[in-house]
Amino acid sequence: MSPVSDVEGEPVDPLVAAESLTKHYGDVVALDGVSFGIFDGITGILGENGAGKSTAIKIFLGLLQPTSGRAMVLGKDSSRSVTVRERLGYMPEHDCLPRNVSAAELLTHLAEASGLPPSRARTRAADTLRHAGLFEERYRPIGGYSTGMKQRVKLAQALVHDPRMVFLDEPTAGLDPAGREEMLDLVRKTHREFGISILLSSHLMADVERTCDRILVLQSGRLVRSGEVSGFTAETESVFIEVDSGREAVVAQLEARGVTVRVERSGLHVDGADESIYDLVRDAVVDAKAPLRRMAPRRRALAELFMHEGEEVEP
Amino acid sequence: MTAASADARGRAVAAEATTVAGSGTVFDIGYQSYDGPREGRARARMAVFKDGVRTALGLGRGVRAKVLPWTFIILLVSIAFIMALVTGAMLRLGGPDAAAHMPSHSDFYGIASIFFFVFSAVVAPELLCPDRRDGVINLYLVRPLTGSDYIAARWLAFLAVSLGVAWLPQLVLLVGRVMGNPDPVGYLAANWLDIPRILASGAALAVYTTTLGMLVAAFTTRRAYASVFLVGLFVITTPFTTGLASEIGGTAGRWISMFNLSNIPVHVNDLIFNDVSGITRGAPARELPAWVRVAWYFLWVVVPGSVLWGRYRRPIS
Repeated sequence: MSPVSDVEGEPVDPLVAAESLTKHYGDVVALDGVSFGIFDGITGILGENGAGKSTAIKIFLGLLQPTSGRAMVLGKDSSRSVTVRERLGYMPEHDCLPRNVSAAELLTHLAEASGLPPSRARTRAADTLRHAGLFEERYRPIGGYSTGMKQRVKLAQALVHDPRMVFLDEPTAGLDPAGREEMLDLVRKTHREFGISILLSSHLMADVERTCDRILVLQSGRLVRSGEVSGFTAETESVFIEVDSGREAVVAQLEARGVTVRVERSGLHVDGADESIYDLVRDAVVDAKAPLRRMAPRRRALAELFMHEGEEVEP
Repeated sequence: MTAASADARGRAVAAEATTVAGSGTVFDIGYQSYDGPREGRARARMAVFKDGVRTALGLGRGVRAKVLPWTFIILLVSIAFIMALVTGAMLRLGGPDAAAHMPSHSDFYGIASIFFFVFSAVVAPELLCPDRRDGVINLYLVRPLTGSDYIAARWLAFLAVSLGVAWLPQLVLLVGRVMGNPDPVGYLAANWLDIPRILASGAALAVYTTTLGMLVAAFTTRRAYASVFLVGLFVITTPFTTGLASEIGGTAGRWISMFNLSNIPVHVNDLIFNDVSGITRGAPARELPAWVRVAWYFLWVVVPGSVLWGRYRRPIS
């Protein structure tokens, strides 16, 4: 993965890079020669179950060996370097917490297991639990925690050693809407206030769209799309129009102006985020003499966008 | 790191201060980036070792976690204490002629080894099964630790506890024998070799039970299954092999007797003390050459140890 330039024009190496990464489980292809780079910020890795998200993360963490290709993390080959994991954090999707120890004890122990001296580990555990909103509950056995609190402990253990990069595998799994929002807030805060880069894996479009700066989309082990979230959302922006009568006339006027219109039962959708779209809609409605009931910006979900994606798009 | 995130990390370090009029200053230091030492793999291994010792002894856990290990420790020490009392009483009442009949260090493992085996069967699975059942092992293996580091640290942790449990009662017995003797210094000078023998035989027993206990625990996530299987292994092989060996007799009987898993380290104990303990006295395996019994012991340590290591090994250097 070659370096890219940051905003000042300086070349920046990716924190994480996949180079023709392939992983087979017998006859099943989990990853099929994917190449991409992950830079500073919050990157979402999106895909359905079985798309290869967790496999990619496990290869980056050195838990799995790739069948072929290379996974580089913080400049080192993840399959050859154990010490690089001092600067990596991982929040697994599934249960991973002991029941009979307190969050404070677990985090202190795991900070030591990440290489921190015992006295520093205790301080870091307390600081991280405060960040995760569990400071008051830190001496209670984890077995008595709610699902939301357990998710926070899982996030806290990934951060306790102040990693450079954190991998979050489905961090909102099992949470109610309020808990989901709180978790995503914590994720955003972790990067924006503490400068820790994040790779967030999810099958929930909304989570990725609301949290991430960049997105990678995996489908059946292949990278089908990658780019800035703003680029994705620009493509999903549209204008919704509702008229009391003369709908056909409005459609005709818009099409005469070269605008593609999608007609739905509830109204008309015009794709595009450009300001000029609103002027065209206004003119078309006036010329069609149609009484306008509503004109509003709308956003199609990312899911809707990916349903129209082709087989493969170069990164 | 971009300028923005560097700034973010800098801001996180900065303290926010709020002055409350007339009452001092409250500092909210918030989240701070860590720029202290990182001690790498050695610290990680030590952390897993320390946690293993604490888990085995129930330290920092609830009362229930302490009951089983400490019951066995107290039981084993009590056996040694009673043996020391008997020794003292025999010396006082029977005089020097009674010395030959006193309970010896070699006798201790013959009497107490079954409790030691059950201790291992009950406690060893505690170090491995919950980590796999609860998924905690996934949190270890994403840190600067390999699977080999993890299992080595856990094995050493339980070995350290087992050594303590094996040596402590013998120390009590030694003190009892020394203090019970009318000439303690003379007794110690005449029997100082007992000290390295105690250390060696305790180590032989601890290495054996630790390895077998951890091996069985490595193949199940249920602690109870591992414990029951281990107790069965240690207890059931005794009557089974004893009966079969006496039925068949000859060389085949001697080799069948070697499969009495409880006796394997006790044969080594006998060789170290140059004595015969109560439980091996009638074992046909005792008629096999000493080197065969020692080699058999090492086979039962090295092969299970290799299988255990293979079970946790990860393809990372």
